[in-house]
Amino acid sequence: MTQASQTLQTAGRRWAGVAGIVFIALFVAAVAADTPGFLSTQNFRAILGTTTFVGLIAVGMTVIMISGSFVSMSLGTLATVTAIFFIYALKFGVGAAILSTLALGAMLGLVQGFLIGAWGANPIIVTIAAGALLEGASVALTGGQALSPPDNTYAFLNATPYGIPVGTFVLLLLVVVVEFLLRRTRPGREVYMLGESRAAARAAALSLGEIGCWVFMLAGVSAALAGIFLGSFNHGASLLLNRGTLNYDAIAATLIGGTAIAGGRGSVWRTLLGVILIATITNLVLLRGYSFGAQIFFKGVLMTAFVLIIHLRSQRGR
Amino acid sequence: MMSEKSLIPLFVARTLRRLLPLLVLGLVLSALIALPLYSDARVSSFSINNSLQNAASLGLLALGVGLTMIIGEFDLSSLGVYAIGGMIAVKYGADFPVVGLLLAMLLAVMVGGVQGWIIARTGVSSVPLTLGGYIIVLGTSHLVSDSQTLAYANYDVGIWLDSVFGGILSPRIAIVVGIFLLTGAFMKWTRMGREIRAVGGDRRASRASGVQVDRIIIGVFIASACLSALGGGLFALSTAAAKPDLGLAPFIFAVTAALLGGVSLAGGRGGGMGILMGVVSLSLLETLFSLLGTPVYMVNLIRGALLMIVVVIEAPDLRRSLVTLRNATAVR
Repeated sequence: MTQASQTLQTAGRRWAGVAGIVFIALFVAAVAADTPGFLSTQNFRAILGTTTFVGLIAVGMTVIMISGSFVSMSLGTLATVTAIFFIYALKFGVGAAILSTLALGAMLGLVQGFLIGAWGANPIIVTIAAGALLEGASVALTGGQALSPPDNTYAFLNATPYGIPVGTFVLLLLVVVVEFLLRRTRPGREVYMLGESRAAARAAALSLGEIGCWVFMLAGVSAALAGIFLGSFNHGASLLLNRGTLNYDAIAATLIGGTAIAGGRGSVWRTLLGVILIATITNLVLLRGYSFGAQIFFKGVLMTAFVLIIHLRSQRGR
Repeated sequence: MMSEKSLIPLFVARTLRRLLPLLVLGLVLSALIALPLYSDARVSSFSINNSLQNAASLGLLALGVGLTMIIGEFDLSSLGVYAIGGMIAVKYGADFPVVGLLLAMLLAVMVGGVQGWIIARTGVSSVPLTLGGYIIVLGTSHLVSDSQTLAYANYDVGIWLDSVFGGILSPRIAIVVGIFLLTGAFMKWTRMGREIRAVGGDRRASRASGVQVDRIIIGVFIASACLSALGGGLFALSTAAAKPDLGLAPFIFAVTAALLGGVSLAGGRGGGMGILMGVVSLSLLETLFSLLGTPVYMVNLIRGALLMIVVVIEAPDLRRSLVTLRNATAVR
C-alpha cells in the first residue's frame, strides 16, 4: 500500500468517525425538537447540572483510560464519599472544607494509583475493592445517616452567574487545565506513553508508580470537585447520592469522546462533548417518560457500540 | 532489563500456589474450631449450614467468573446475569420453578454467546465489552421488573431447596456442590479442560498447536453466564424474592473467592475444586465474623480489604519491585 493511500485511508476513517458523531448528534437534536419541554431555560439548566456532575468525574475517568488503566469502578463512590466529607467539614468554614475535601480526594486516588501504577495491580478490581472500603468506612463514620450542612456559607457554589451554574465554569476550567497538563507537560506526555505500552514506558525508565499516582490523584481531585458540587446542590449528603448511574455515565461519556479503551489516545475536551451527549440523552429519556430501566438500557447499548466501533477502527489502523 | 530473580525458588512458589486454597480453608476452619478459645461464641451445625447456604448462593457466580479468569478474560456482565437470572426464575417460574430456571439459562446462553462471539472474533478487551453488557443486562432487569422487587409466591420451593439434611447440607447446597464437582472433573480430566487452561496460559501458542481458541472463548462465556443465571435463580427461589440490582457485593465475593481458590488474573491457572474451596473459605470466614458479632459495616470493610489484599498479591510487578528493593538494600 502506498503512503498516499494510507494517509487517505486514515483521513477517511477520521471523517467516518466524525460523521458518526454528527449523525448521532443530529438524531438526538431531532428527538429533542420533537420533545415538549426540552427547549426551556429551566431544562437547559437541568442538563447543565447533569453535565457538571458527570463531566467532573469523566475528566478523571478520561485520564485513567488514557494511562491504560481501563476505568475506575468507584469514582462515583469517591465523589459521594467526598460529598459526605465536604458537608461534615463545612463546620470548619467553607474554604477549609473545599481544600480538605480536594486533599482527601487526591489522597484516596493516590493510594489506588500507587497499587495500580507501581505494582501493576488490576485496576478494575483495585477500584471495586476501594469502592467497598470507602462505602464501609463512610458507614462506619456516619452511622449510615444523611448529613446536613451546619449553615449556608456554601450557597455561592450553587449560584448561577449569567444563568450558568458555578460548577459548569469549574468544569470548563478543569477541562482546560487537564488538557494543558496532558499536552504540554512532561508528566502529561508520560501518561500517554504509559497508556501506549507499559513495557515501553518501563524500558524508557519512566517511574510507573509516579505516573500512576499522578493519574489517580488527578482523578481523585476531579471526583472530589464533583463531590463538593453534589453536596452543595443537594444541601446534604449520604451514600444514596450514588444510587444513580454517575460512574457508568462518566465511563460512557469517555468512550463516546473517543478515548482508546486500551490507553494511549484520548482528550479531555472530546470527553466533554461525550458528557453533553450523555446528559442530553438522559434528559430526553426522562422528558419522554421512559423508565429508569430503559434509560440504563439505552446507555448500555450506546456504550457497547462505542467500545466496539473504537476497537474496530484502531484494529484497522494497524 | 533486570533478570526476573525470584525471592523464593520457583518450585516452592508453585507448590505454595497449588496449596493456597487448602491452606486458606485450613486456616479459616482452625479459626472457627478455636472460636471458644478467644470468644464466648461457638460453632454449631446450624451456623455451618447457614454458611454453606451462603456459599451455595454465590458459589456458581464465583465459578463462572473464575472460568473466564482462567482463560485470561473477565466477565463483568455475570453480575447482571446473576440478578436477571433470579428475576426470570421468579417471574416465569411461578408454577414450575424448573421452567423459570431454564428460561433464565436460555437468556444466559444468548448473553454469554453474543459477548463471547464478539470477544473471540474482534479481539476486543473483555472488560469494557462486558461492562457494557452488564449495563444492558441491568437495564433489562429493571425493565422486566419495572424496578420493583418481585416476590415469589411459591414458598414451598424455597423451603424445599433449603431444607436441612445430614446436619449441614440442603438440596441447594448439594446441587451447587454437584456442579462444582462436575466442572472440576471436567477441567482436570478432559482434553477440553486442559485446552481451556492452555488458552489462558498462552493464546497464540495454543492456537498454533491446533486448539480451537474461538470456540473455547465462546463456550466459556456461555458457561459463565449459565452458571451465574442458575446461581441467581436458585438464590432468588430460596429467598422467594428477586431484586433488579444487587449492587457489586456478590461480584466482590465471587472475585475474592476465585482468587483465594488459586485462580490467577493472568489466566491459565485454577480449577473447579480450588474455586469451591475459595468459596467455602470465604463463606466460613464471614460466618466467623458474624458469630463474633462484628457489625455489618465492618464485614463490608473486611470484604473490601480482603479483595484489595489478594489483588495486590496477584499484582504482576509486586515481586519485581520487592526484588529491586532487596537488591538495593543488598548493595548498601
